[in-house]
Amino acid sequence: MIAASLNEALGRGGLLLMLASSVIGALAIVVGIWQKDRRLLKQAPRYAWLAAAGSVLAAIMMQRALITRDYSIAYVQQVGSDDTPALYNFAAMWSALEGSILLWGMTLAGFTAAVAWRFRKRSNDELVGWALMVMFVVTAFFAVLSFGPADAFQAGAPVPADFNGPGPNPLLQNHILVIFHPPILYLGYVGFTVPFAFAIAALITGRLGEGWLMETRRWALFSWAFLSIGILLGGWWSYEVLGWSGVWAWDPVENASLLPWLTATAYIHSVLVQERRGMLRVWNLSLLVATFSLTILGTFLTRSGVINSVHAFGDGPVGSWLLGGFIVVTLISLGLIAWRGDRLRSPGTIDSPLSREGAFLANNVLFTVFAFIVLLGTVFPLLVEALQDRRTVVGAPYFDRLTMPIGIVMLFLMAVAPVLPWRKASQELLTTRLFWPAWGGVAALVFSVLVGADGWAPLVAFGLGGFAGAAALRQIVIATRRQGWRGFVGRANGGMVVHLGVIMIAVALAASNSFTHSANLEVKVGDVVEWGGHTFELESVTVELNDAESEQALKGNVLLDGEQVYSPAITTYLNQGITVGTPSVRSGFAKDVYLTLEPGAEPGGESAVIRVFVKPMILWLWIGGLIMAIGTLLAAFPGTKRRKPTDAVSAPIKVDEDQLVGVADAPGDTGEQ
Amino acid sequence: MNSDLNKKLKKWPAWAAMLVIAVAFLAIGSTRSTGPQTPEDRVDQITQRIACPVCDGESVFESQNNTSRSIRNQVESLVRANELSDEEIVSFVDSRFDAELLLVPRASGLEALVWALPAVGFVLGMTGLVFAFRRWRTEADGLADPTDEDRSLVDAALAADVDNDAGEGSGR
Repeated sequence: MIAASLNEALGRGGLLLMLASSVIGALAIVVGIWQKDRRLLKQAPRYAWLAAAGSVLAAIMMQRALITRDYSIAYVQQVGSDDTPALYNFAAMWSALEGSILLWGMTLAGFTAAVAWRFRKRSNDELVGWALMVMFVVTAFFAVLSFGPADAFQAGAPVPADFNGPGPNPLLQNHILVIFHPPILYLGYVGFTVPFAFAIAALITGRLGEGWLMETRRWALFSWAFLSIGILLGGWWSYEVLGWSGVWAWDPVENASLLPWLTATAYIHSVLVQERRGMLRVWNLSLLVATFSLTILGTFLTRSGVINSVHAFGDGPVGSWLLGGFIVVTLISLGLIAWRGDRLRSPGTIDSPLSREGAFLANNVLFTVFAFIVLLGTVFPLLVEALQDRRTVVGAPYFDRLTMPIGIVMLFLMAVAPVLPWRKASQELLTTRLFWPAWGGVAALVFSVLVGADGWAPLVAFGLGGFAGAAALRQIVIATRRQGWRGFVGRANGGMVVHLGVIMIAVALAASNSFTHSANLEVKVGDVVEWGGHTFELESVTVELNDAESEQALKGNVLLDGEQVYSPAITTYLNQGITVGTPSVRSGFAKDVYLTLEPGAEPGGESAVIRVFVKPMILWLWIGGLIMAIGTLLAAFPGTKRRKPTDAVSAPIKVDEDQLVGVADAPGDTGEQ
Repeated sequence: MNSDLNKKLKKWPAWAAMLVIAVAFLAIGSTRSTGPQTPEDRVDQITQRIACPVCDGESVFESQNNTSRSIRNQVESLVRANELSDEEIVSFVDSRFDAELLLVPRASGLEALVWALPAVGFVLGMTGLVFAFRRWRTEADGLADPTDEDRSLVDAALAADVDNDAGEGSGR
């Protein structure tokens, strides 16, 4: 293979290093364990460093190719352009299929190296060995994808010396979030490979106790947080860029990111039942397997061209590879679970549905059904096409209708579950503990009605949001009273902070979905138009060309409420001849006013048509996301001492009196014990 | 004192008052008339149910291309004419294009599955949970009360302990 450029040669070299080290690393571990050769096992982390170095080298060469506009590479011909600003040129790496697989591979190799480093002193431990082996195999799979079906360094067709590429899709060079959303989302997607790898390792070694769960608790938690933040940033990008004022469209690619999030969220709850009671082992393994394989399935659905989506890029052989990967992962995992069936049985019982464990189980049923609905709605058009050879669409109204009741029941669970003790709750305990949270709910409902909200569904959502929020606050208040600052940290308390963020998001979604109003308004210079409690006046219609003369923005400069000028624009990307609307938004804690410019305005003209959306509470989506992130950090912080994973489930845990949470609060409360 | 008051407050009359207030406000909020729906809101609702014919996975409401804009304008004029119902407008727009534009699948034919399967999934999930709890209860019941045989075993063990003259705290 003769490379056309240094970038191609070194890029491929990096990928080759990544592939070879992953394969050799995996083999070294298998042989090492087989022959009990400690030397081989000890070498394994070195292969992880090499694979990570290879993937970083490949990414650097791709960046170099983009920066130097090396049009000898097909991918740069596709997404590179002399006119793209440096920042978006940097993000161009993940603006199409091949580059995003490269980013995926680099993230994965990074995680493999991180696992190798974290457990470097336990290279003799078979559990760690097998987990690292799984990580190597998955890394090798993505290296192969990057080599063959999604070859980022493929030589392009010869181009003239003055060739200038089109640059990334205009929608991907329109907002700063393009830099952050994909990498953060990938950290979430890829991060779940770690708990998955340990789950497989536990199945292989038969060490199915709670040890591997504890090892991977923080990995799962952080991956979940990255996934959550990545999804939210995607919503924010959609809001700021796409011009229809929405954050979520139930687009297949969005659904593909939501699916693993749903199973992962179910997992981080039900795993607590296993840690505490040693139960639900098969279920937790299945949720992890589902989370990991859904990331692969999601990538297949959206990167293979089988489903059309606004995000999907192209079709190609990568689809069959990903589908193959999905099938192999699912079959091997299910086979291992079946093989270890006898060891997975746990002796415990759950005494009452009215208990913390009962609530977690209900939560799991809801999340699973939610995931099933999203998966069904996403793949249903494929099913219809396969069976009846006709096209059909399943869109937002379907998902909204089916998931809204689930969301409402989840809010109710979030209100009740935090006050439930393990084992069994009495009615007396519930009426005592739920009293003030329930008043919180009533207060939220009364407030919503007084400020003019109507419709039963949003009102129920606001009431339950208040109820759940008050229940979370109650737990934090009790914990901080007893433990001081430690009342904010640890799983239970940090988890409540996360709940507060989730509740804010749920309430904000309910409000913005139910009470958004929009209109097309014709605005004129010197003429004030009133609509929806706001005034709009056109100041001017201007046209601006960027320095590179590649983008021309037609701006309608509108004075909003006589206070400030907002300039929604229609930007034409001259190289591609594509026009993209750029909204202009006034954000506020109560509501946003979102303006877009409709086509037809002339530069220097006296009138223009704008589309106006008035949307309540959007800002709380982003604030809620921030609180979720803070809550996750607090939850990952070491809390109070717990049972050692190697002890029997029935072993007593040493707990200081002052560390008990909510003990004196009500009879029957067993707090953390 | 404070906690006494707290305990007294949490008796059933306060819960009943809470329930009455919640139901009353929910009833007021969900039944009060907030004036007729504006034509703009109707246009938004209708266009959210129609797929954009030329793009991938977007509704006419979301989509920014000219086809969708023209459908939006058409829906707006139909709404302003105020002769057709929402359903009729959706079917009218759908009939003008070859592609399937209904974002809410029908509840008949193969499409019925997309509605029925989630319900089946939910029922299965809940039934599974009920069965699991029932099984756990029977298992727990089986463990619950010590039988006479258990008691005699314990007595025998204790007697043996006394024989060994083990001091306090030697047993666990």
